[in-house]
Amino acid sequence: MTSTAEAVAFWILGPLAVLGALGLIFARKAVHAALGMALTMVTLGVFYLIEKADFLGVIQIFVYTGAVMMIFLFVIMLVGVDSSDSLLETIKGQRWWSFIFVIGLAGLLIFTLGQVTFDAKTVQAGMDRLVANNNATGNVTGIAEKIFGQYVWAFEVTSALLITAALGAMVLAHRERIVPKRTQAEWAARRVKENQDVAGLPAPGVYARHNAVDTPALLPDGRPAAKSVSRVLVARDQVARTDGYRDVERYIEREIEEGRQK
Amino acid sequence: MTAVAPAAFQQANIDYLAVLPLLIVFGAALVGVLVEAFVPRERRHTIQLTISVASLVLAFVAILFATKHQGLTFGYTDGATSRRLFALAIDGPALFMQGALVLMGVLGILIMAERFGGVGSDAFTASGASTPGSPIEAASARAGLITSEVFPLTLFAIGGMMLFPTVNDLIGMFIALEVLSLPLYILSGLARRRRLLSQEASLKYFLLGAFSSAFFLFGTALLYGYAGSVYFGDLSKAVSDTSLGLNGLLVAGAFLVFVGLLFKVGAVPFHAWTPDVYQGAPTPVTGFMAACTKAAAFGAILRLAYVGLDTASWQWQNAVIIVAVLTMIVGAVLSVTQTDMKRLLAYSSIAHAGFVLVGVLAFDQRGVSSVLFYVVAYGFSIIAAFGLVTLVRQDGGEATHLSQWAGLGKSHPVIAGTMAFLMLAFAGIPLTSGFVAKFAVFAAAIGTGGATGTVLVVIGAVCSAITVFVYARVIVLMFFSEPADDTVEVLVPSVGTTFAIAIGTLITFALGVVPSSLLDLADRASQFVR
Amino acid sequence: MPTALPSLLSSAGTYAAGLATHDGEAHAATGFTSYAWLLVALPLVGTAILLIGGRRTDKWGALLATALSWAAFLVGLVIFFQMLGRDAGNRAQTVQLYEWVTGGSFQVQAGLLVDQLSMAFVLLITFVGSLIHVYSLGYMEHDPDKRRFFAYLNFFVASMLLLVLANSYLLLYVGWEGVGLASWLLIGFWNWNPAYATAANKAFFANRVGDFGLSVAMFIMFFHFGSVDFTTVNAGVAGLQGAHQGFMTAIGLMLLLAACGKSAQFPLQSWLGDAMAGPTPVSALIHAATMVTAGVYLVVRSHVIFEASPTAQLVVVIVGAITLLFGAIVGCAKDDIKKALAASTMSQIGYMMLAAGLGPIGYAFAIFHLLTHGFFKAGMFLGAGSVMHGMNDQVDMRRFGGLSGVMKITWITFGIGWLAILGVPPFAGFWSKDKIIEAAFVGEGWRPWVFGLAALIGAGITAFYMSRLFFMTFHGKRRWTDDVHPHESPSTMTVPMMVLAVGSALLGLVLGPTGAITSWLEPVSGAAAEHEPVLAVPVLMALTLLVVLAGAAFAWLRYWRDEVPLTAPAGNLLTQAARKDLYQDQVNEALLMRPGIHLTRSLVFADGEGVDGAAGGLAALVGGWSARMRKIQNGFARSYALTMLAGIVAILGALWVIQ
Repeated sequence: MTSTAEAVAFWILGPLAVLGALGLIFARKAVHAALGMALTMVTLGVFYLIEKADFLGVIQIFVYTGAVMMIFLFVIMLVGVDSSDSLLETIKGQRWWSFIFVIGLAGLLIFTLGQVTFDAKTVQAGMDRLVANNNATGNVTGIAEKIFGQYVWAFEVTSALLITAALGAMVLAHRERIVPKRTQAEWAARRVKENQDVAGLPAPGVYARHNAVDTPALLPDGRPAAKSVSRVLVARDQVARTDGYRDVERYIEREIEEGRQK
Repeated sequence: MTAVAPAAFQQANIDYLAVLPLLIVFGAALVGVLVEAFVPRERRHTIQLTISVASLVLAFVAILFATKHQGLTFGYTDGATSRRLFALAIDGPALFMQGALVLMGVLGILIMAERFGGVGSDAFTASGASTPGSPIEAASARAGLITSEVFPLTLFAIGGMMLFPTVNDLIGMFIALEVLSLPLYILSGLARRRRLLSQEASLKYFLLGAFSSAFFLFGTALLYGYAGSVYFGDLSKAVSDTSLGLNGLLVAGAFLVFVGLLFKVGAVPFHAWTPDVYQGAPTPVTGFMAACTKAAAFGAILRLAYVGLDTASWQWQNAVIIVAVLTMIVGAVLSVTQTDMKRLLAYSSIAHAGFVLVGVLAFDQRGVSSVLFYVVAYGFSIIAAFGLVTLVRQDGGEATHLSQWAGLGKSHPVIAGTMAFLMLAFAGIPLTSGFVAKFAVFAAAIGTGGATGTVLVVIGAVCSAITVFVYARVIVLMFFSEPADDTVEVLVPSVGTTFAIAIGTLITFALGVVPSSLLDLADRASQFVR
Repeated sequence: MPTALPSLLSSAGTYAAGLATHDGEAHAATGFTSYAWLLVALPLVGTAILLIGGRRTDKWGALLATALSWAAFLVGLVIFFQMLGRDAGNRAQTVQLYEWVTGGSFQVQAGLLVDQLSMAFVLLITFVGSLIHVYSLGYMEHDPDKRRFFAYLNFFVASMLLLVLANSYLLLYVGWEGVGLASWLLIGFWNWNPAYATAANKAFFANRVGDFGLSVAMFIMFFHFGSVDFTTVNAGVAGLQGAHQGFMTAIGLMLLLAACGKSAQFPLQSWLGDAMAGPTPVSALIHAATMVTAGVYLVVRSHVIFEASPTAQLVVVIVGAITLLFGAIVGCAKDDIKKALAASTMSQIGYMMLAAGLGPIGYAFAIFHLLTHGFFKAGMFLGAGSVMHGMNDQVDMRRFGGLSGVMKITWITFGIGWLAILGVPPFAGFWSKDKIIEAAFVGEGWRPWVFGLAALIGAGITAFYMSRLFFMTFHGKRRWTDDVHPHESPSTMTVPMMVLAVGSALLGLVLGPTGAITSWLEPVSGAAAEHEPVLAVPVLMALTLLVVLAGAAFAWLRYWRDEVPLTAPAGNLLTQAARKDLYQDQVNEALLMRPGIHLTRSLVFADGEGVDGAAGGLAALVGGWSARMRKIQNGFARSYALTMLAGIVAILGALWVIQ
């Protein structure tokens, strides 16, 4: 039967897992969503550990929280922070109906599963068997025997899935190089030919009291030069406004001017 | 129960001859992947095509041998409890489906391989990774790039499909579901023309497929909770042994697992992806999906319904009855207003799925054999029909709007005549396979389905009357309308495509005139092993 | 199967005794009868050659089709004479073609049943059909698509022959569908005209409702008897000995529905009038003389089932009575010569239906009337075509008049047909129709009075409207439009008319008083016990003649003696209703279906019409639903996911409610 410790752990971790899952769906920023997912994964790993499935619990944390999450983050980075989806819902009633039906499904399932009563003896017997197995051959060996004995076909045929996935990634994302890569010289020649940024992109602005990548340079007419800051910073909305620095600059200039007049 | 001492490692018993067909197809797919890696580009298409067709033919021969090796395999009988823990069930329905899938797969691949004189398959983009409409896309085509990966991908899909009706447990079923789906998601997005539509279709198919897989998995978990096992045999037994307190798990679990399978056959209300994906995917892929996916999924549904959940049928059959009725009605009604050939065929395929479901609900051996017959009859017809769609062109792209088919009977009587014949088959007119197939499922349902069966058949008859109008409309359009404009042309297919279309049509005709042999075969193959 | 039958039948007892000797024992074909498949094959070959041969066959295709049709007639004739050579009990023979479906649990053997009933039809179909071929040689001479037309004609003949020769409901269904397809192709032959396309679709839809009935009937038979061939079903019904009335009634009503669709009986009659709007009198004629009789054939062929269910039988009679009055009333108000003839066809088939519903007493007369009607109505349709040919394809009878002078042959042949349909002795109609009226008066209680009077009144109205048609067309003042110059038609058209006129005049005399038709059909339909009508036969005969004369005289007064106005007068309420086919379309629109403009438009939208359009009836309802449901298919994956979710919740909820 469920021990008190187990129950306590469940009631603490369970809501956390749900919270993480909800975060995955509702977080506005991709990174936050990924973190929500990690939370859920880790919590699940802990559940496995509590249920005496040591190997599975550890692997869950290693593989999902470690490897899979890393890949997710890589993908987010590759796609770029500045790619964002419109979150504006255009279909009338979509949100409301989704909400209603999700609640409905949850209600139905909770209602259905809530009526289920497990036979305590059967549950205990299963748990005993697991403990016995763990004690005798150990959790890892037990899983190995399942994978390479009883479930060997499922295990093997999963490889087809992985190969398909790899092949699909290649087909959909790998671009064969059909034109030779441009050299530095060629880039420079092209810039001159097109008379565009002949001297390269402008550097960030340098002000009297400020000098960083987030401050745009100023064009001759005083407007900030958009090309002088990284587009990632633009996407993140982290570009500094130049007005303040320019005011300071003018103030200093004025002071210098005044000082000269004195 | 006292603690049991763990048994020593028990190796799975494997009858290699029984699983040889599967091994051949998967093996050939792997070889195909290696070909992609090591063979020069200009020779890939031919080699891939050869490997695919040869392996499928070989697999068919292996299936013939496997008929002598029927039984459960890839697992063992548990010594202590004498439960039969086998991953695969090589039995009549499984082998029948495998054979049908392999043959339909050959036709599908032949149509996919159509080049119309180009370097690569005409239906597939030169470079799937290039942005649609970009200079790189054009440059890729100029440079002679081809997406010959479609052949191994198709083989993987066929392998998964063959596995789908063969598996003997829920985990295997889920893996088979994914093995067959994943290549299809990719294939759907690789059209040469109208690529944005194709990619959109691919993404939609993937998202909704994942959504349905989630339900399948959830259902599997519930059923495991119910029976304590994922094997169909155990599941069936558990229904009589398990206390009523667990019934909630059974009802919800069974239905959710069915949702995953019904999604694959395009049953209403899980059908929404069908028209969009059928329309967006490259037409040969659409034909392949319509024929083979449907067949495989119905094989799986049969196994689940007749082996895994047969004893619990009263828990889920109402759900499937509702779905069958909805599917027939929605498919038939919506096909009426379609103006695009591919969408029209998509809705027609939905309606057909409904008719097959009526056969599934017969709950006896005749139901099994009628379903087996139906999916084969329908499969060959639909492959040929989509094959014909690939030939009708305007400005290089496929002319799929119905108005573009107007007057085709005058300018290209053979193509239009063949299409008209296939339409008659879909309509279920006698002397086509469609009629015999419909008759078989309806007769099975009315014979053993009781009052429900009769009601279903009446609804089915009404719906098929509605769909007749749809098909008749296409025929009228082809033969009695003046062509809207005369830039619509029909390309001359290569030997492979011609062969595929001709065989599909011939089988449609043959199964209408002399259906006995296949009906017999389906009848003999309708016994499941447990 | 046939070997096991006798024992099965003998155990069925007295109920089946009458059937066992006749229906059951169809022997394997001997002699030339085993070549009966040629009947179907010959015209089918013609179709194939003409359609596959394409333009190459343009020159001789029409002639070949005609020749093949005549060849089928000759084959039929040879088989007929062979059959005459055998004694009555051995005339029915079967020709096994091949095992069509032998899949384990359900088996169907494709075979032909050559018996007295089917032979009667074979001769009618091949003979009249061949005459139509000849007539079309003239009528369609200048049509660029003549070849295709003849291919369809041949296909029609082949399907019709298959329909009447089939030995099982399933094979009959094949012919049934074929006939439907052929009629659809022929009505819509010149479907550049949307009206023709609408008409073709309307026919198609009514037929689909009928087909639905036939297929459901087949399912029930299959469920009940395990087979759908005539022998097994008949034996099975006999074996039930009156048990399972409900099932028999269900089968009977479904078969009746099928018959109503095909034979344009109430309430599925609306398509026939529109089918006449079709391009040629020839295709109209097919629908008048042969195809529409398929329903009567079905009822007579299934008489064992109907006899096992008095309810179904009664419904057949009611449907027949309603239709015969309905058609007659509608016929009175039509100014379009072909539509008036169509209404008359509907009415006459109502007579046959009524007779077929009366039981053994009526079968022979139903078939008899069917044969004579085939001749005289075909003759009149050809006459109508000839008139149209001479009048620049006008159909409005108010613009005819006084044609007897310029189209002598047409006038005489049409006149003979007119006398025949009126039932004037000794023309064909007298022998067949009067017998039906007589049979309708047989029985007890209210039935003979109701049905008999209906038939009698129908005869009077028929006399009125057919005389009206005849007088308006051929007599009275010439009311022609200025640009027409009526002339007699070429001989390819007049010769068939003359042949048919001879048939209309003499067929009744040959078959009726000699009792040839009743004794010929007796082995198939069972012997009719002698019954006396509730009124004495001579009284009935006199009454009928009186009514007919009154109707004709009234028509003479109004349409020969009096001036016929060029535009139809407003008329009273009944006339207005009749002009609108007694609002059948409106009723159908509300109750059943009417392939309205909506579907027609979607059908021919390639000609520049959009899918959306005005709508009406069930077809439009389907279209409307379809359009509405399409909106859910909005292309957004999240929306699709929502549909799935909604479906899951709804079904899961429903599961809980159900349990």
